[in-house]
Amino acid sequence: MEVSFREEIASLRLGAGETFRGEGILAVTKALLQSGVSYVGGYQGAPVSHLMDVLLQSEDLLQELGVHLQTCTGEAAAAAMLGASVAYPMRGAVTWKAIVGTNVAADALSNLASPGVIGGALIVVGEDYGEGASVAQERSHAFALKSSLLLLDPRPDLPTIVRMVEQGFALSEASNTPAMLELRIRACHVFGSFVAKDNRRAPISFRNPAMPARFDYGRLAHPPVTFPQEADKVARRLPAARHYILEHGLNELLGPPDGELGIIVQGGLFNALNAELAALGLSDAFGRLRIPTLVLNVTHPLVPEQIAGFCAGKRGVLVVEEGAPDYIEQAIAQILRKADLHTPLHGKDFLPLAGEYAPPVIAAGLAQFLDRYGQRFVAIPSLAPAAAEAAKRAVGAVIPPRAPTFCTGCPERPVFSAMKLLRQETGPVHVAADIGCHAFATFAPFHQGNTILGYGMSLASAAAVAGTNQRRPIAVMGDGGFWHNGLNTGVAGAVFNRDDAVLVVMDNGYSSATGLQDIPSSREADHEGRGKAVPIERAIKGVGATWVRTVHTYDVRGVLRTLKDALSDPVKGLKVIVARGECMLARQKRLRPAQAKAIAAGERVVQSRFGVDAEVCTGDHACIRLNGCPSLTLKPSGDPLKDDPVAHVNNDCVGCGLCGEVAHAAQLCPSFYRLDVIRNPGRLDVWRLRIGNWFLRLFGGTPITEAPKLRPPAAVPVPAE
Amino acid sequence: MSTPREPTRILIAALGGEGGGVLVDWITRAAIEAGLHATRTSIPGVAQRTGATTYYVEVMPAQPGDPPPVLGLNAAPGRVDVFLGTELLEAARRAEGGFLTRDRTLALVAHRRAYTVTEKSEGGDGRMDEARLAQAVRETAREAVIADYDALARQTGAALNAVMLGVLAARGAVPIPPDAFRAAIRAGRAAESNLRGFEAGFAGASTPAADAAPAPGAGPGDLPGEARALAAEGVKRLTDFQDAALAEQYRATLRRFAALPGADGALVAALAKQLALRMSSEDVIRVAQLKLRDARRPRLVAEAKARPGDIVHVVEFMKPGPAEVLSLLPPGIARPALRFVERRGWMGKSIALNVSPTRPLGFLRLRLLAGLRGWRKRTLKHAEETAWIAAWLVLVERALPLGTRLAREVVDSARLVKGYAATDARTRANWRRIMEEVLRPALDGRLPPDLAADALLQARLAAQKDPEGDALDRTLAAIAARIASPSPRLAAD
Repeated sequence: MEVSFREEIASLRLGAGETFRGEGILAVTKALLQSGVSYVGGYQGAPVSHLMDVLLQSEDLLQELGVHLQTCTGEAAAAAMLGASVAYPMRGAVTWKAIVGTNVAADALSNLASPGVIGGALIVVGEDYGEGASVAQERSHAFALKSSLLLLDPRPDLPTIVRMVEQGFALSEASNTPAMLELRIRACHVFGSFVAKDNRRAPISFRNPAMPARFDYGRLAHPPVTFPQEADKVARRLPAARHYILEHGLNELLGPPDGELGIIVQGGLFNALNAELAALGLSDAFGRLRIPTLVLNVTHPLVPEQIAGFCAGKRGVLVVEEGAPDYIEQAIAQILRKADLHTPLHGKDFLPLAGEYAPPVIAAGLAQFLDRYGQRFVAIPSLAPAAAEAAKRAVGAVIPPRAPTFCTGCPERPVFSAMKLLRQETGPVHVAADIGCHAFATFAPFHQGNTILGYGMSLASAAAVAGTNQRRPIAVMGDGGFWHNGLNTGVAGAVFNRDDAVLVVMDNGYSSATGLQDIPSSREADHEGRGKAVPIERAIKGVGATWVRTVHTYDVRGVLRTLKDALSDPVKGLKVIVARGECMLARQKRLRPAQAKAIAAGERVVQSRFGVDAEVCTGDHACIRLNGCPSLTLKPSGDPLKDDPVAHVNNDCVGCGLCGEVAHAAQLCPSFYRLDVIRNPGRLDVWRLRIGNWFLRLFGGTPITEAPKLRPPAAVPVPAE
Repeated sequence: MSTPREPTRILIAALGGEGGGVLVDWITRAAIEAGLHATRTSIPGVAQRTGATTYYVEVMPAQPGDPPPVLGLNAAPGRVDVFLGTELLEAARRAEGGFLTRDRTLALVAHRRAYTVTEKSEGGDGRMDEARLAQAVRETAREAVIADYDALARQTGAALNAVMLGVLAARGAVPIPPDAFRAAIRAGRAAESNLRGFEAGFAGASTPAADAAPAPGAGPGDLPGEARALAAEGVKRLTDFQDAALAEQYRATLRRFAALPGADGALVAALAKQLALRMSSEDVIRVAQLKLRDARRPRLVAEAKARPGDIVHVVEFMKPGPAEVLSLLPPGIARPALRFVERRGWMGKSIALNVSPTRPLGFLRLRLLAGLRGWRKRTLKHAEETAWIAAWLVLVERALPLGTRLAREVVDSARLVKGYAATDARTRANWRRIMEEVLRPALDGRLPPDLAADALLQARLAAQKDPEGDALDRTLAAIAARIASPSPRLAAD
């Protein structure tokens, strides 16, 4: 683990009455400990990676509490881990990113939900939906419906989130049903406070192990008991859940008890709704609503009598439910119909069928709803549309998008430079892309990738392309995806089926896109590391692949050559290229302090960075189109004769060497140079420089640096960056 | 009932990985320190890596007995009180989103550009117009302060976000006392340099970049006023590149064109630029000359951040291919040699040279190459370049009677030709295509001159827009279609 969470760990130790301050996902983590969990697991992914990252560094605390922590190799493993709560009265929680993680976990979820749990089981899903999302836009709600899981969607303030975690366990136990708690991106990162409770030790933990459970066929998800289990879900567990929800007031009735109109809203959307109601004078910054509002902190199951009671006697009710399909609205309509209530129901008629419910969207829907019932609340007309128009006129051109891109010095970028050069030489090649940092290659300037089918699935997604395409397809996969799914679904499958494809595995040492988590092939080295340094090549050969080459990513010409070999090899079958280069973020985190220390200690250190000669650069920017490094940018030519800006390497350069490699590989131009700065030069350096400088002067040159005295004065530390 | 208390809403637009998260953290912690209700949220995720991203903060004075506040998680267009922008284009993007409004928004924006990949990728100048981006902010905000806070950050050795925090504190737009901000910084990392940055921003010692207007040139008196400074620059360049004779040849050409009927100042100025560049087009000799230049050294030392006692070495990445090496020979030898190499399929071969001019061997190699200056006029490269220039000038001359604008576009078409090796070949091929498919129809009377001028411009921009793509193909196809079927209105003309 490379990122340090000292402050966060301290807040997990807070006791009763102390004030916790932090982000939503950390509050969930604390709430898990307050709930007395026996075990926690999960798989990394925004926006919930933090939960696992923090716990992984809280070894002492978990040791004290006896909490078993598991870094699962995938969401399926995490979901399966909840099996402990099927057989034992243990509380457990797992976490992952939705919707993708829930898809992967689906098999285990079905077989978990069928027998149900005797210890509270909570799945914390990061609902990666709306602005900033990185996955297909679908709702977790569908999984709750099909598997009969409880679904909590708390109001995005910390006390409510924490309460729903605690109540989620109790609800799960009361109804023997696993619960999902969904947190949207902004809720995971919302900063707030709540009054903490003491952490609780679980009755069963590694400090107090249980006896193995006795054999009980009824607890298996296996026929014939699956049939009574199905009946039990609806006949006993569902009513029990509804009873608990009502009894403990998990859903909140806010605003006046009576009114002509009413709003039913998913808990997670409440703050956005409140802001728009406040703008209309129907609420304020403290949520003192002037319109009856039912806040669903539990969105599945709904409690029919609560819904019917709320709607009865109202002239109209608006359901504010984000995403498609409109599961909640449909369910409410059914409840009303069965209760023979004729309250007009609105929702997706005034609000969009799909997409994020951002403030303007909610505002427009509300306005229509209120207008329909003759409630003309005077909202101060927004100046936003006119402002947007004015800004567009002022800019007078389309503002280009700014997609995320590979970090400065990223070791994956060179592979895509090579692939772009390959494309220029051989023409188009089918590229099966995957999930991970390398998916940034789908953006400018690389524009590569024909499909993305799922994490670790690139090779599998090219299975039918291999053999039906004029060229061998290239599948790209990260090491994260490789261990998650790719080794089996991709490599073993392709070897078994004799697929004629090329696989490039990016071996950068971490699950980088999700925050530098360790994976089986991560370095074993430092004390915080959890890696096992398992060589990816060995795993690949272990499942029967024979054509396996390893390349170093910064060697663009080498990568290009190997790619050409793989594409042109006369023998059919899978060709695997392991492209190795450590994640630059991790590398810099490790190297920078070490280098600064060494320099301060007077040790000889060579630091490199790149530059571009403005006079030599002609301003065609082919280098940028092949490279795209954030530190490779533009600046005015500084030459009155040259109108076009020239390429320029800014101070962020980490000296990875790609600029020079690309200049060579693409035979670009001679404007790139590398500066090697020898800090605390040794005797040999100084003597060589003296001789060199003497020689330069002899031929009329001027040296760039004068030879320092042999014993340099006390070393000056480099300012920390 | 008193008027309801409203939170102050702060939107921050930034680039992922720049420290926007730290900035909002300081604001939130300062607000809590000052006893305010505060919340903040962000959407980091994938946007971390230099993608466009936003952070959002709401703060509100607290009173005893307040119920828990329900603060917003999303910025709403039309409801942003303070807008902080760490980059100009991102600020303009949010202005286009309606987040800056005349009634309430105070916009504090760093006059700084981080170019998008789209802007950087263009073969010419794809940069957005900075003045217009700033204008978008100024026209939409209640009050806009756009200053070079990045320079302030560099001067103080602090991060830009610390300077921005100081600017925010100084404006008093948020009900948080400055000392609370200082305390928040002290609680974090790199407190010392960040406090320095904060104070610099707080003192408001903004240093708006004053662009020094180029001094009106004293140049050859027989040229139009606007061309003189450029011509003087061109003369200097060519004297340095080759000799006074070449510079004189350049001057004579300019004089000849200035005397042609229809040639205005703008045309001669454009010609002064492009002709000087073409006549001094970079060959291996020139590159060696530039790499050994004394003026380069201080810049390199500064870039290396070398301290006294450090040793700096420079490594040049040169990889001349057969075309570049052989074109140093006289045409009589070079041409057959190139044909031979081409037949053998060796044109793609080249030797990577990592030359270090700070070491004896590398220095000597560059010195020898630079010393070939006297030989240059005999080289194939020179002969080809001269022929290209002659052909181009003929086209300018032929276009001139059809209209000054058309002729200017022909002059500017030289901007297309640039680069080394493959880039050089590609840009030349594009230029030839455009001249053939756009200018020739105009010269033959198949395309009205005004339309042709537009078409030339469009074709040039398309060729630069995505040099390896098909934008030029599409543009030329559209122009060809236009030539084949002139619109009725045109026919009526």
